[in-house]
Amino acid sequence: MRLTRLTVRGVRNLADGTLELPAAGAVLLGANGQGKTSLLEAMAFPVLFRSFRTAMDAEVVRFGEPGFHIGVAFEDGARARTVAATFRLLGRRKQIEVDGVPTRRLVDAAGAWLAVVFAPEDVQLAAGAATGRRLYLDRTLALADPRYLATLARYRSALAQRNAALRQGRADLAAAFDLPLADAGAAVVSRRLAWVQAAGEQFTTGLVALGEQSGEATLGYHGAVELADPAAWGERLVQAAPRDLARRATTVGPHRDDLDLRLGGRLLRDYGSTGQQRTAAVALKLLELDTIERATGRCPALLLDDVFAELDPERQARLAARLFGGRSAQVFITAPRPDELPRGLALPVWRVSRGQCQPGD
Amino acid sequence: MSTLDDLVTEFARLPGVGRKTAQRLAHHLVQQPGERLARLAQALVQVAERVRPCTVCGNLAEADRCPICLDPRRDAGLVCVVEEPAAVASLERAGEFRGTYHVLGGRLDPLSGVGPEALRLEQLVARVRAGGVREVILATNPSMEGEVTATYVQQLLAGQDIRVSRLARGLPMGGDLEYVDGVTLAHALSARQELR
Repeated sequence: MRLTRLTVRGVRNLADGTLELPAAGAVLLGANGQGKTSLLEAMAFPVLFRSFRTAMDAEVVRFGEPGFHIGVAFEDGARARTVAATFRLLGRRKQIEVDGVPTRRLVDAAGAWLAVVFAPEDVQLAAGAATGRRLYLDRTLALADPRYLATLARYRSALAQRNAALRQGRADLAAAFDLPLADAGAAVVSRRLAWVQAAGEQFTTGLVALGEQSGEATLGYHGAVELADPAAWGERLVQAAPRDLARRATTVGPHRDDLDLRLGGRLLRDYGSTGQQRTAAVALKLLELDTIERATGRCPALLLDDVFAELDPERQARLAARLFGGRSAQVFITAPRPDELPRGLALPVWRVSRGQCQPGD
Repeated sequence: MSTLDDLVTEFARLPGVGRKTAQRLAHHLVQQPGERLARLAQALVQVAERVRPCTVCGNLAEADRCPICLDPRRDAGLVCVVEEPAAVASLERAGEFRGTYHVLGGRLDPLSGVGPEALRLEQLVARVRAGGVREVILATNPSMEGEVTATYVQQLLAGQDIRVSRLARGLPMGGDLEYVDGVTLAHALSARQELR
């Protein structure tokens, strides 16, 4: 996948306009606050039509603008394609077009354009709350298989209806939604379990390859694994019914599950050093990349936001070898100064200053 | 001009009509001859006066009962349960069904505050208890809320000595497999029928 053109209007501090981008990608150089990360954010937005920096589309809108527009033109193998998103603050409406055709359902547009972002905040995948890891898992699986996204959407709407009934204190009405909840929920759990099982070994070897030697790293699934079977839900939901009613929310299901990341048997979140957490997060991002590549047979663009600055030189070299060795992915990489980039990176240099981006060295 | 503005506001309240369409409709109407407007006004007044829910099935009627419930040739032993009167019109257009209807007036939708008591469920159970009903066909929409409503009705009727069925789900006639969405295809596959 190669991004050929990026059009932005009303996006944060970026200048409105269209950029024609080099096939290999580019190094985006510029001081802090000039718009480097916003550029990557705009490039990544049309993958799943959400920002990697915020869950609120409204935050992407430049102050005083009525909304924003982001359009990408890219090559998918020999095909030239386009994806565009327009968000309006009025009514909080998001319109999506794929190849010039308006699309009503996110499922039909998600993953048409593929890019994987590596950003400093990824460390939260290892250090932060479960929400971030669930989002990571759902995003990875959704891009690998559009059916997962459809199933997840069904699960979320069943959950929203069931929780609404519980908030109204209606146990009978809530129970009416048990069947679609179990049906979609079981599919979500089973797909996640299959992924964790397949990815576990790669996570272990991935951390070693990145230079982590203080113990064996493991990836597991934290949650009620028996819920991968729709038949197991009935009893669990009945058991949880009084608790659900008291808390006015559904307490059973994959919306409460988590990834279990350990190093030498100890939870990375609680016991890992910042360096170890950072390495584990990079390993997870590499897993995301591999999962999407393997499932789709396509090569996502790499959007690297200042990731090398946080690593020591040895890990920098290992990550660079893993990302750039033997691959021909398009790469966009940001850095405040050239000396913060991995060595041997042969990419055109673009300067980012006050929201403007142009070729220059 | 406030009279015209009032009309625009009324139009804009209709489903699928925005402010601009409302304005276009209103400006079109004021240019029509007076008697045409009077006919439209009269039609509206009559709808307001005469159309009301059928006391038996909840369908639109101009008397206590709707034409379908009054028709002696319709099989009252067959009751087709739908969400809205519009679904009755669709099924009638198909021309295949010779039974009667029961309009629930919506579907279970807790997020919009619609629970069982907002639907005509008690009337349905009363109809079945009164006897004479052999089969209830659940024809709620194939959305999640429609399915949940169908299951809910099925459980309500569980104790009754009648047959309860659900409309089949699958491929649209004259369609193209290529354009059928995955969920529908999966249903069509699992509910496939053996050829004899």
